[in-house]
Amino acid sequence: MIVADLTAAALTRTLAGPGLRLRTGPVVTRIQSSLPTVARGIALHYAEHPTVDEDVFADFHVRVGTPRNVRRWLRPQAHFFFDGWSPFTPLPLAQGFPMLEWGLNWCVSAHCHQYLIIHAAVVERNGRALVLPAPPGSGKSTLCAGLVSRGWRLLSDELTLIDFEFGNVVPLPRPVSLKNASIDAICGFAPDAIVGPPVHDTVKGSVAHMKPPATSVRRASEPASPRWIVLPRFEKGVADRLAPLSKARAFMQLADHAFNYSMHGSRGFELLAQLVEACGCFELAYGDLDASVRLLNGLADDR
Amino acid sequence: MSGHEQTRWRAIGGAKMAWREWDGEFVVFNPRTGSTHLLSEFAGEMLLGLLASDEGITAESLAARQADSSAGTDDSERSIAIASALAEFARLDLVETVTL
Repeated sequence: MIVADLTAAALTRTLAGPGLRLRTGPVVTRIQSSLPTVARGIALHYAEHPTVDEDVFADFHVRVGTPRNVRRWLRPQAHFFFDGWSPFTPLPLAQGFPMLEWGLNWCVSAHCHQYLIIHAAVVERNGRALVLPAPPGSGKSTLCAGLVSRGWRLLSDELTLIDFEFGNVVPLPRPVSLKNASIDAICGFAPDAIVGPPVHDTVKGSVAHMKPPATSVRRASEPASPRWIVLPRFEKGVADRLAPLSKARAFMQLADHAFNYSMHGSRGFELLAQLVEACGCFELAYGDLDASVRLLNGLADDR
Repeated sequence: MSGHEQTRWRAIGGAKMAWREWDGEFVVFNPRTGSTHLLSEFAGEMLLGLLASDEGITAESLAARQADSSAGTDDSERSIAIASALAEFARLDLVETVTL
């Protein structure tokens, strides 16, 4: 069963009641919320994701809603609850769905230490994964959305999970987070992409999410071998250029962008070294999305 | 010969230190601190020399070992570079002096 099999009323009831058990890649999350914005966001962006039965173990139990006290009447805000605990500052009610997304990212990055977790987008073509590590504001998610709109499979737009046994990328396909100018950029670049309504005045500015392609969601159990590491840096007006990056510097960048590299000690070092050794490493200066997508397509075609 | 030149240095926890060399650049993981460092070819070769020596090695011996990889550098420049690298290694808890 997938989310789209539920009617809007059934989804709303499930979220407000026992919770929706949603599978995203290797993770099962039980989500509860009585906020209409959250129900609408899930219905739109997670339509193709599988749901699981109540007897299946849920890794995380989360709720987005108002606290059960008088404050919900005085100053209604969206709180993110994790096992009943609220780890984040509450946000305006209209930001309920982005808050769920940020909270789900946190659940994985703070707890899934069976993987090496890198703050990077990752996409796949012909079984080979392209890892895009970058700090916020580098245009990583925009580039990821652009590639996905041109046939690459979405593995993740935010969290690259590397398994310790085989060194593969484990897919975690979820909505792609677009911010500010990149919302219109993707709507123009990929008119068929399904992008939800923008939510304004968040800490990141205006935010909208792009629904992951159905094929990416259906193939969420298929890992991919890492083949390229590309550090993107968006700069308005710059000529698009892909330049080689030394493996040692790529290693240091990946370590800097990993959430839990230090936690794994020597094991983390060995896995990261294995990853770098398996990959061609590059820096991408990009000012034009179409040109950069063509450069990366060329990289993938050049065997 | 000065006392400094007689000081022997060795890598701390050598066997557990992990490293890789790619195209003349090194990355080194120090299990003692949990830190990872990017080293130049000169510094990386120096550290390998220290890792290979259980009993410690003097700066003078390191300079002799490094002569090949720093050909074209005069002896005084090489000695200064080695002293500077040893001080940095010590700051990073990668090496220690050996008391004889």
